[in-house]
Amino acid sequence: MLVVRAINAHDLNALYDLASQVGTGMTTLKPDMKMLGDRLEIACASFAETIPVPQRDYMFVMEDTDTGRLAGVCAIKGAVGLEEPFYNYRIGTLVHSSRELDVFTRMETLYLSNDLTGSTELCSLFLHPDYRSGNNGKLLSKSRFLFIAQFPQLFTEKLIAEMRGYQAPDGSSPFYEGLGRHFFKMDFHHVDDLTSLGKKSFIAELMPRQPMYVAYLPDEAQEVIGKVHLSTAPARRLLEQEGLHFEGYVDIFDAGPVLQARVSELRAMRDSMPAVLSEAEQAGDDAADTEPYLVSNTDLQDFRMIVTNAYPHGGKLALSDDELQLLRCHHGDTVRTLSLNPRKNPHA
Amino acid sequence: MYVVRPVEIADIAALEALAAVTMPGVHTLPKTREKIAASVERSIASFAAHVDIPSEESYLFVLESLLDKSIAGTAAIFASAGSNGTYFSFRNDVIQQVSRDLNISHSVHALTLCSELTAYSQLSGFFVRNMDQAGLEAALLSRARLLFAVLAPHRFGDRFFVPLAGITDGDGQSPFWDALGRKFFQMDFLDAEKVIGGARNRTLIVELMPHYPVYVPLLPGDAQAAMGQIHPSGELAFNLLTEEGFEADDYIDIFDGGPILQAHKNSLRSFTGSLTRRAVLGAAPSRTGLKVNYAIASGAERNFRAVTFSCDALEAQDTVGLPAELLEALAVSSGDSVICVRI
Repeated sequence: MLVVRAINAHDLNALYDLASQVGTGMTTLKPDMKMLGDRLEIACASFAETIPVPQRDYMFVMEDTDTGRLAGVCAIKGAVGLEEPFYNYRIGTLVHSSRELDVFTRMETLYLSNDLTGSTELCSLFLHPDYRSGNNGKLLSKSRFLFIAQFPQLFTEKLIAEMRGYQAPDGSSPFYEGLGRHFFKMDFHHVDDLTSLGKKSFIAELMPRQPMYVAYLPDEAQEVIGKVHLSTAPARRLLEQEGLHFEGYVDIFDAGPVLQARVSELRAMRDSMPAVLSEAEQAGDDAADTEPYLVSNTDLQDFRMIVTNAYPHGGKLALSDDELQLLRCHHGDTVRTLSLNPRKNPHA
Repeated sequence: MYVVRPVEIADIAALEALAAVTMPGVHTLPKTREKIAASVERSIASFAAHVDIPSEESYLFVLESLLDKSIAGTAAIFASAGSNGTYFSFRNDVIQQVSRDLNISHSVHALTLCSELTAYSQLSGFFVRNMDQAGLEAALLSRARLLFAVLAPHRFGDRFFVPLAGITDGDGQSPFWDALGRKFFQMDFLDAEKVIGGARNRTLIVELMPHYPVYVPLLPGDAQAAMGQIHPSGELAFNLLTEEGFEADDYIDIFDGGPILQAHKNSLRSFTGSLTRRAVLGAAPSRTGLKVNYAIASGAERNFRAVTFSCDALEAQDTVGLPAELLEALAVSSGDSVICVRI
């Protein structure tokens, strides 16, 4: 069975194995023992609340309790851009108009910005290929929303998620080839590695500081602005279901979209409900509802979450013994519940 | 033999004929009779104007054959570019990109819309019939404008520039325009030049042209290649001007990317190398056998005249001996001062 739980100090080796599967394009999860070790330490301190809120980095792993293997990982960064500048391009509009010539030209521009500084970031989502089935991806991605709904005071009102940008079949980024290469004069993957190592000051040093007209870029580069990597499209849909949306910020290297939301507007904030764990009641008229539910405990240090077919009713939820064990909960404990999928017709 | 003189009303028909043979893609000459007449009248008024501060004056000169009095070329100079407005150009900027962390150091070119050439004096409208076979008279025509400025410095700025037509293909398409201006103007190069009348001082330029630097590496290769390149028809003018002391590279035209040559007057040979000498009747026989070609100019305002003459070096002399026909062409008498500069 699968449980998503707060990472702990014993997960380093398994995390390294997982990171080895990731490949390029994900700057925050590289198979580097030192990097991962440091990150794990911060994550543990975050759950233990021993470091300031903005520095926290809550990492979650999906564990296969049958094998003890890690099936996936995801994280929430308390705030981005407070130690290293956090850069994005904001897509803006400039209108060039001349009444005299009756010309009205609407030009898209890219502004180098630090606008998203201080936002809470959803990041580092990776599900091992062996586990890419059923509701696993949803469980992993959406676990973070339940966590936020349970502990909203730990996060800023602005939530963002950077999506991996479009890459050609050969792994190159048309946007980078059309723009960044002229200023960095190095391969996309090299730049990518550098950003993951935290050497981000070079962005400020090398990127054009002035706004740029999108129309100057080659068509291939223009076309992929705000487009996600093919393999990231499902992840994008999941986030959009939860209330995030594209508001015109993109990555400066691959032009992948940044999805944004206000924490208070997340589906999990509106729709998740506490429930008290109780003995199973008589199966009644609710049996028809087979909608899976996400259920989490309410323990910050040992946050755990599962997906279940049990259905909360009247503020009560009946889970199997196995499920109780995964959550490390007992009857009488309060849990948080959220339907895995948005209701198709919430007002019915 | 040729003389350069201010244009007169009587020249309008000849200018019209000349305009008919100018090449497409060169926009420096007005084409219609009305426009030609207007520019001639403006020039006559400019020569007659009493000038304190250079302003909207525009001086038009013609190259006239002394043999048959035909007009073989024209050239103009505007006292103050932008005509009390703003003259727009692209400045070539070099942005140094240095990252010590990455051990990277390279430079990126950017074009920035600027108005720095405003109030420079602007040479324009240089055209010589039979450009391919043109000899000294072309150099005389080009230089005469500057000699006029030497004689009447109060009419001009301290700095001069000359925009030269950029590259266009057989259909009048400009690769530089297609990569840049077209995106903002949404029209063909020649159409844009037509609506703007070749001007570079119009408000609509601010309205339509990019406000932010254009990073050159982002432009397509053919547009980059066209930057600072002259239309073949401008080669003669380019050579004459660079010999004169003008420099390219700092500015290019916002429409076709053609070079804009510019210089402070102190680096122009007409200013630094001109000698004031007394003209006397009678060409002296050469003593050295090493003759030097001179442009010789004289006269204020509408009496300005310039001719070429070949004689011994004048540095060590007080006078320049000229044949009667040249004295007549210059409209000077023996004993009058003229300025002479090597061509």
